[in-house]
Amino acid sequence: MVIIAVSALLLGVICGQWLFSIQLAQTIEFLAEYVLYLLMFAVGISIGTNKMILHKLREYNLTVLLIPFGIVVGSVTGGAICAWILKMPLNASVSIASGLGWYSLCGVLMDELAGAQMGAIAFLSNLFREILSFLMIPLIVKWLNPYTAIAPAGATSEDTTLPMMIKYTKEDVVVLSVLNGVICSALVPVMVNFFYAVLP
Amino acid sequence: MIVIVIMCIGVLIGYQWFPHKWSKVNTVLQMVCIAILIFSMGVKLGSRENFLYEITHLGFSSLLFALIPIGLSVLLVYLLTEKYLKKSKKKSTEEKETW
Repeated sequence: MVIIAVSALLLGVICGQWLFSIQLAQTIEFLAEYVLYLLMFAVGISIGTNKMILHKLREYNLTVLLIPFGIVVGSVTGGAICAWILKMPLNASVSIASGLGWYSLCGVLMDELAGAQMGAIAFLSNLFREILSFLMIPLIVKWLNPYTAIAPAGATSEDTTLPMMIKYTKEDVVVLSVLNGVICSALVPVMVNFFYAVLP
Repeated sequence: MIVIVIMCIGVLIGYQWFPHKWSKVNTVLQMVCIAILIFSMGVKLGSRENFLYEITHLGFSSLLFALIPIGLSVLLVYLLTEKYLKKSKKKSTEEKETW
């Protein structure tokens, strides 16, 4: 997935910079909005069809929410600190950090909300988060605890980084990883829009 | 907000009516949509006049936006799981043993 995403981005940049006319670029931009709606519909279906998640949630009771809670609070605070360091608008910074590693969606949402530059930062930073997660999961399992290995993965803990969780942790942590991914994935579009609208 | 409404409609359809055998089609559809959206984002970025100048600046900011939220998430989840999750697991193991 990372290869497809990076290839599509590079191809788009090349087309935009050297091949496409401004009119064609604007038409693609217009159509992308409807593709985003289709994507969100498909993501909703994915969450809805995964009925096992709802059953497992009951078994773990409320302690299951500790991990997504820690990830969300940590990421949002991190976004606010980035705003202070980089002297960027607080709303955009917190929204970027609210992507929780879901680079494609967050990049596109930020692109719609705050323009191409913020969209690019959102895309790149969340892509970095996913890549860094791959590298960090084995180290966190070894040095901290297996549950904490879910933290860097954020919203990707149910799909792209899940193979790493399966390899380096046990079944109960894998289930928590999937649950965390579903919860974080559902929160990403809500938080990105919410923080951008509410914060100064 | 329209994005969230559309996603909620998707969740409802997925939970109530969507046949499980079409899940793979849904996954492929998501990947195609994501590829198109990222491509269009690239087109939008590439058509900017100062793009090449900007990208050299975005790299550092983007890395910072990845590292700081990761660091704080790891710290917070570590503290919370050490305090609550490990304890609750230990308690449930003890309960099982007494049975």
